[in-house]
Amino acid sequence: MRVTANSETCAVSSLCVYRVPGVFDQDEDGLVLVLDESPAEGLHEEIRRAARGCPTKSIRVVEEPATANVPGEAG
Amino acid sequence: MSTQTPPRYPFAWTPPMQVPEALRNIHKTSAMEVTLPSGDVATLVTRYKDVRALFADKRLSRNIARPDCARISKDNDLFMDPNIDPDPPEHTRVRSLVTKAFTARRIEALRPYVQQVADQLLDEMEAAPQPVELNEALAFPLPIMVICKLLGVPAEDRDQFRAYVDGFLSVTKLPPEEVGQCRQNLWKYLGDLIDSKRENPGDDLVSELIRVRDDEDDSRLNEHELHFWTQGLLIAGYVTTASQIGTGTAVLLHHPEFVRAIREDFSLVPSTVEELLRTQIMGSSVGTMRYAIDDIPLSDGSVIKKGTSVLLSEEGANVDPEVFDCPMELDIRRTENHHMTFGAGLHYCVGAALARMELQVATESLLRRFPNIRLAAPAEELPRALGGFMEGFTEIPVEW
Repeated sequence: MRVTANSETCAVSSLCVYRVPGVFDQDEDGLVLVLDESPAEGLHEEIRRAARGCPTKSIRVVEEPATANVPGEAG
Repeated sequence: MSTQTPPRYPFAWTPPMQVPEALRNIHKTSAMEVTLPSGDVATLVTRYKDVRALFADKRLSRNIARPDCARISKDNDLFMDPNIDPDPPEHTRVRSLVTKAFTARRIEALRPYVQQVADQLLDEMEAAPQPVELNEALAFPLPIMVICKLLGVPAEDRDQFRAYVDGFLSVTKLPPEEVGQCRQNLWKYLGDLIDSKRENPGDDLVSELIRVRDDEDDSRLNEHELHFWTQGLLIAGYVTTASQIGTGTAVLLHHPEFVRAIREDFSLVPSTVEELLRTQIMGSSVGTMRYAIDDIPLSDGSVIKKGTSVLLSEEGANVDPEVFDCPMELDIRRTENHHMTFGAGLHYCVGAALARMELQVATESLLRRFPNIRLAAPAEELPRALGGFMEGFTEIPVEW
């Protein structure tokens, strides 16, 4: 999984920072920062939730074909 | 087109704990016409998908000071200041000055203070004769003390500006002359506050906004904007949170099984707060008034015509069965709870993280201090605020 965020559209809801603090942070102005662009697999579900819950859709998650999720296997 | 008068909005909560029938049926169409307290008609957008998309849609303007835009109230030009443009780029400029005070780090730095105020209020509550009225004991003083600290407003002025704010937010409660007097008094109060902060700046948000206004180039914040946004922060900073602490707690106490569950596991507090926000019975969506500056198609193919006054139904989105399982059920363990109570898009409530923190502290502190707390009156008889912008309960007697 690769995580990026668009600070241009960020509205400083802080939801992502509260949900996955090790992956998301805020700069002095409150705008989103991604601390870990390739987070551990155990965090993936929470990160997907953070992306879905972002009020400005500023978080982008690209799912990379990982060992546990081979295309065609997971449906 | 139907010739019938569209239903009255906000929908009435009668009995007070029961979801209005109109709200249960709201998703049958993607938009419906409603009649506002002013008598004007607006289009209420009902489904989660559309509400969420339209919160971020630039074809909906937040500038409602247009002559042909629907009014919320006949007696009060609520949020129709013609000197303020709440659309980008003006809005973006002001907002970026304010958001830095509301980052997660700064909100967390305030948490010990909020806890201290809550503990003190609960000490006083414990010493008072029962039953205690929760709004006056906790729900209002807590967020007022917090917003006073954040903005640098003297806490001893709170009764004074609280009365002004109450008048400012009158939809039908007060006659226009009284609304006007309250608005003038509030504006003057803020003028005096700004003057005194100019002389004695402090480590607070109003002083910071004055610094931006006075020291940097004038394109950043003019004097009227300084007044207007200070007023907005003061009002939005406590009335909403106060109403939600009160009504949310009343709803929670109406479900003793949830109170028991939380007492056994306080880690349920944040999801409980979110669920009480989702079911948000303390207010309607009249504050989401927008104006369509272009035709806007909705998800079902219907079109909102340019020139339409639009309300985005947060409460409709929050109970959309397409998004929430058993949407009418209060489930304090709901994990996927992306409700629309704070809006979405670039106008997302700047104080959302602060409100959440205050709600968490209030809920947890109350249940820790009074494990057997309960409503001291039948839930069906709790009086609702009528004729104002907030519709929470006006009296919430509790005992323990």
